Parts: sequence; C-alpha cells; structure tokens
Amino acid sequence: MGLKKAILKLAAIGLGIGLMTSAALAANLRVLAWDGYADPDWVKDFTAATGIGVDVVFIGSDDEIWAKIKGSEGQDFDVFAVNTAQLQRYIKADLVSPIDISKLPNQKEVLPRFRDLSQVSGDTKDGKVYGIPFCFDSIGLIYDTDKVKPAPTSMSVLWDPAYKGKILAYDNGEHNFSFTALTLGYKDPFNLSAEQMAAVKAKLVDLKRNVLSFYTTADEAQQIYQNNDVALIWANYGQQQVKALQKIGAHVAYINPSEGALAWLDNWVISKGVRDNAAAEKWIDFMLTKKVSGQLSERTGFGNTVVESSSAGSNDKLVWLNNVEDPTKRSDLWNEIKATP
Amino acid sequence: MSLLVTALAFALPVIFVLVPLAIFLVYSFFSVDQGTIVYAPTLGNYARFFTDPIFLPVFWNTIVLCLSVAIICILLAYPTAYFLTTLKGRWRYALLMLLLVPLLMSYVIKIYAIRSILGLNGFLNKALVTLGILEQPSTLFVFNMNAILLTLTLLLIPFAILPIFLSLERIPQTLLRASDDLGASGLQTFLRITLPLSLPGVASAASFVFVLAIGDFLTPQMVGGISGFTFGRILYSQFGTAYNWPFGAALSVALAIVVILAILIGERFGRNRGTSA
Repeated sequence: MGLKKAILKLAAIGLGIGLMTSAALAANLRVLAWDGYADPDWVKDFTAATGIGVDVVFIGSDDEIWAKIKGSEGQDFDVFAVNTAQLQRYIKADLVSPIDISKLPNQKEVLPRFRDLSQVSGDTKDGKVYGIPFCFDSIGLIYDTDKVKPAPTSMSVLWDPAYKGKILAYDNGEHNFSFTALTLGYKDPFNLSAEQMAAVKAKLVDLKRNVLSFYTTADEAQQIYQNNDVALIWANYGQQQVKALQKIGAHVAYINPSEGALAWLDNWVISKGVRDNAAAEKWIDFMLTKKVSGQLSERTGFGNTVVESSSAGSNDKLVWLNNVEDPTKRSDLWNEIKATP
Repeated sequence: MSLLVTALAFALPVIFVLVPLAIFLVYSFFSVDQGTIVYAPTLGNYARFFTDPIFLPVFWNTIVLCLSVAIICILLAYPTAYFLTTLKGRWRYALLMLLLVPLLMSYVIKIYAIRSILGLNGFLNKALVTLGILEQPSTLFVFNMNAILLTLTLLLIPFAILPIFLSLERIPQTLLRASDDLGASGLQTFLRITLPLSLPGVASAASFVFVLAIGDFLTPQMVGGISGFTFGRILYSQFGTAYNWPFGAALSVALAIVVILAILIGERFGRNRGTSA
C-alpha cells in the first residue's frame, strides 16, 4: 500500500503547516463548530468580555468533525460541537475531557429538562459529564393543512391508506427503523431485538407501499412537493424544512408526534488536547447566556437549551438520537425493504 | 524524450485505470466487522451476492431495464439519424449540433427538469389532460420503473444518434445509386444496403447507451421512487450508509463484468461488419 503511505505523508505535511499556523496564534481559543454556532458578533462580545481571542473553524458534516479531531488526537482544537449520538464515540476513543459543571454558572439556569445532565442520554459516562447541550431540533412531521384534516398527532398517519401516494419519506434505514420502532411503542428504538427488528421491517414494507418516494435533501423534497400531490413529509430537516416550504407559499404545519419525535442535540465538548481549560469553560458558559442562546434560535430556527423557543417545546416528547445497535444491519435491511416488490 | 512520452502513455492508464480497478478487485475479497474493514481474504461477499434473495432479481431487472432503454434509444435515434443524412449541406450539421446541445447541460439539472415535467402537476400530465387524452393527471410517469425508463432514454439518446449518424454518413453514395440503377426500390435499397452497412453504428450506439444506463444510480435514485429500485442504488448504499466497502466492491465487480461484456459485444459487431464493407 505505497499509495496509502504517500497520502499519509501528504496529510502529515498538511498537519505540519496547520500546526505552524496554530502555533502563531497560541493564545487564542480554538473552536470547531457548525455554521451558526459561533457567529462573529458573539465571538467579538466574548473577546471583549473575557480578553480571550477566538479562532473558529467551521465544519459541514459529522464525518468531518471526526476526521479533524481524530486526525490530531484532539490536539488541534480546544472546544468543539458534536451531537449526543456521536459523543460516545469520542469518549470511547479518549478524545474529550470531562467537564466540571461547577465552572459553568449558566448551566444552572438552563431549561429544567437540560439541568440534570445524567438524564440527557449520551452526555455522561461513568458519572462524568462530557457534553453540555445547547442546540437541538426534532425530526417531526410536516403536513399540508389543506389536505390533512384533522391535524395528525402521530407518525402512524403515514400508514393511513387515505394518503397513499401522497407521502414523502426519507431515504435512510437507520432513522426509519428508529421512528417506526417508536410508532410501534418500543422503549429503546436504538437497540432493537431480532424480533422487534423483524416487526419494524414488516411495518416499513407497508410504509413503502404507501409513500410516493424517498427523498434525501430538503431541496429535493421541496421540488417534489411543488410538482406532485404531497400531503405528508417525514421531516428529516425539521424547522429548516418547514421555513423553506412556507417561504414558497406552501400551506404546511409541523408536529412532533405524540409517541416521541427523534431529535438531535448538539453539545459543546472540551477536547483532550485543550490548552487552556478555563478559557474553554468560559466559552461554553458564554454560549449558555440567554442572549446568545436566544439569538441562536432566532437566526437558525433551532431550539436552544436556555430559553423556550417555538421549535419542540417542553410538552413535546423528544427522543435524542443515539448510536444504533448495528448500522450495517439496518442499512442492509433497508435495501431489502426497498427491493421488496 | 520520446521514451518518456511512451512511458507516460503506458503509465497513465495503468495508474489511473488499472490500479484502481485492481484495488477494487482486492477489496471485494475483504469483509467488514463492526464498521471496520477486515483485511483477511474471503469469498463471503460473492457468496452473499449469489445466495441472498434480493440481489440477483434486482440485478436481472436492472439489466432488462437498461436493455429496454438501449432498444428504445435505437428505435428513436435511427430515424432521426437517417433523417439527418437526407439533409443537405450545413443544415445537416446545424441540426446535429442542436441535438447534441443537451449534453452541455449538467446531468443533475436535466434530471430535476425531467422530474418536474413527469410529475403529477407537471407539463406532461397537464398537456395530456388538456388534449383530452387523460381524464385526470396520472402517477404513471414518475417514481416508478417507467420514470427511470423515460428519463434514461431522454438523457442518453444523443449517445445513440451520433454513432448511427456517423455510420450512415460513411455509406458511399455510389452504392445507393448503383442499387437504384439496378432497379431496386427505395425500400429494397434501405433493407439490403443501408441497414446492413449501418449496423456497426447501431451496435456501438446500443452498447454506449446500455453501459451508461447500467452505471447510473442518480437517475433511479431521483425518479425511481419506491418501485424503481435498481442495482446502482444498492451499490451506492454500500458506500454511503451501509459503510460496507468490500461488499460494494464485489457488487461493482459483478456490474463491471456485465459492462465489459456489453462493450465486447458492441465492439465485435461493430468491427465485423465495418471491415467487410
């Protein structure tokens, strides 16, 4: 594998250049986050308040975060944002440091359901806190208010023959197994027994026969909505997707199903290679202020953990996404479902 | 200097074509456990391809689908190309260029556009309803196998027109005139002179279209909906969500064999007739 060696060498050179530039800004806090999580005005305010300079690097996918953090064994960044389903993987690989909650006064002021982090699945391990939740959204159901009456309350409406051929579902085995398990009333949708798996599979074959198509991007769903008779959309992109549809004049509304809506929850975590732990804690605490969290929701449409927002209120039952028992197995079964005539 | 050029001429295809193909072949004998690739040789992937009830039927259906696309493309492209050769002077090439213009457009944008046209509120349904052919819009045209067939045909037809046009154009006019002089009717000339001499072009057009259609996963993914499930989509999922590269590689090898066969058949037909003419 000479090619592999050459690529590694190139990567090492790249890393070297990266290290040189980061050494030049040694005093700054190094933040890795999604777009919308570290806006320039917040960074400016943070520096003004604490005297700590900040360098932000934006990422575009979960895989990219993993590649950046794992590639440098956590040495390249001090603080980064990652969702609860991913976090356990970082803990296992020893890439993140436990966080001392007592250093985060604002964490005591967050919404009640985010106060006890041992109750937030995926944020703790062996009694230690590794992630501080700050931003979330649900994966709910979009319905056309002209076509679907009365308003649905459960994902089970997707199996209603009245809407046959008017449903857009999402092309992803992992999520589809999880939400169907919730619809069937299973306790842990991320760890299904062989028996439950078979039941979910049968149910998904029924779903397949009721839907118009499976989409992958929000944009695609929107285009299909415009050119076809669509009544229900399984909304992988949540609020973002609703906003985009409403912008083009669609009469749509959004619900979080009563059996529980799958939801992602992003956390601030401190990397293993953190240079100044106190600065990292100050950053996280700053992000948990009412002002920043409120603005985060205003600007992105996502929910935050500090002030109540329109997205997914406290009455909605949210089920935080978690690692599934066997992603490959779910994907294989999903193919079988799609191949079933 | 010329030695360097020769070396490069050999090295480039080896590095960019043969080596990746060889890596693919090697990977198809590995396996995956808990999301990591196990580098121990196994025939498991191939055994699974032949024994699992889902892969062979989808594989076969996909081949039939792509053969149909090739046949429809030929049936539409042949008269078009024939018509082009009857045109005189610059009209012939101006029209040919126009037919090839769609190739300049992005593939994805074309699929998006075609999907809008085929949709329930799309142009096709509106036109059919306005003309009174349909009473109400039909879902027959989108998110099923028909949609894939239609879309692939539309996308690939330029690849059929060009080789057929070239083979028709190469037929010496003297042969046609001789046939006419000897008292053959127009139909007789076409069946006994033009058609046989243009078959090499038809063969390469068919293999072009078939190979391009069978390698496509995007079109089925975007217009195939729930019933239009093709081999390309299974393959694609192995590299994306399933994260099972070795199995994906094995499926690719199966596909590659079919593609190579199609190219060989096209080549053989093309050359035989071509040289004997």
